[in-house]
Amino acid sequence: MSRQSNRTTESKKMNSELFTLTYGALVTQLCKDYENDEEVNKQLDKMGYNIGVRLIEDFLARSSVGRCHDFRETADVIAKVAFKMYLGITPSVTNWSPAGDEFSLILENNPLVDFVELPDNHSNLVYSNILCGVLRGALEMVQMAVDVRFAQDTLRGDNVTEIRMKFVKRIEENLPAGDE
Amino acid sequence: MMTMLGGEPFLLVSKQEQQNYPLYIRSVPSDSELKFHYTVHTSLDVVEEKVSAVGKVIVDQRELYLGLLYPTEDYKVYGYVTNSKVKFVIVVDSSNTSLRDNEIRSMFRKLHNSFTDVMCNPFYNPGDPIQSKVFDSMVSSMMVQTC
Repeated sequence: MSRQSNRTTESKKMNSELFTLTYGALVTQLCKDYENDEEVNKQLDKMGYNIGVRLIEDFLARSSVGRCHDFRETADVIAKVAFKMYLGITPSVTNWSPAGDEFSLILENNPLVDFVELPDNHSNLVYSNILCGVLRGALEMVQMAVDVRFAQDTLRGDNVTEIRMKFVKRIEENLPAGDE
Repeated sequence: MMTMLGGEPFLLVSKQEQQNYPLYIRSVPSDSELKFHYTVHTSLDVVEEKVSAVGKVIVDQRELYLGLLYPTEDYKVYGYVTNSKVKFVIVVDSSNTSLRDNEIRSMFRKLHNSFTDVMCNPFYNPGDPIQSKVFDSMVSSMMVQTC
C-alpha cells in the first residue's frame, strides 16, 4: 500500500537519451541473439505484451479514465492520455475504416527511434514493434482483442510513423488472461 | 579520425592515441583523396603535440578546438579533439578566404554534434567506420556551403 502514494497523475521526468539508448541496447541485443528479423519482431511484441498487461493497471489507476463506450473513445484515450503519459507525445488518430473498427495512430516523432538508423541488413526489422505488443496487451486486459501493426515507419524512409489498429472482438469476461 | 577538405573540404575522424585509424574520410573532389590521407595523417602528429602541450599548461580543459595545425603552400589544416580522443581534421584550400577561424570552429561543433548522434545509434559499434546516411548528408551540406 505504500506505493499508493507514488501513484500521482503527474509524470516523473526521465532523461530521453537514457530511455532511447536503453531501448536501442535491447533491440540490438535481440538482433544478436536471434537469427532473423521476424524472430526479433516477435520477441519485441511479446515483451511489449507483457509490459502492456501490467501497464494497463497503472494506467487505469493514474488516469482515472472510465470505461470506454466505443472504439473511437478508446482510440482517443490511447492517443491523448496514454501516449501522453508514457511517451510524452500525442499521436493523431486518423484513417478510420468505414465500419469504425480500424484506425491509424500517426506519430510525428517517435522517441524510441532518436539517433537510430537501420542498417541495410535489417530491412525487415520493425524497430518499435514493442509498442504494438504494449497496445495489444493493455487492450486485452480491458476485454478488447486488437490487431496492431506498423503501417509506416520513419526508419524505413516514410514521412511519419503510422500504427494501424484493428478491433477484432470483445473478449468475454472471466476468461483467464493468457500469459505468454 | 575524420577529415574534410574544403574549398575542397576534407574531413576525417580518428580514434585512439596509439592507433590512428580513420573512422570517416570525405573529400571533394573525391579523386584527390589519397593525397589528403597523407596530409591528414601527418597532421595527427601535430594534434598529438598540441594535446600533450595542453595537458601541461592547464588551459581551459573544455576547449576542444586546436586551431590551425599548420599551413602548407596549398592547404590549411585545422584540428579538433574530443575528450574521448576522437580527432577531427579539416583541410581547406588556402586560397579560400571565406573560412575564418570562427566558421571552422562552428563546423567542428556541428561535426561533433553529428558524431555524437552517430555514436548514439544502437546499431553503430564504436570504432567502426561511419556509414551513417545522416552523417553523410550533414557533411555534404557543410561542404557545399563552404565551396
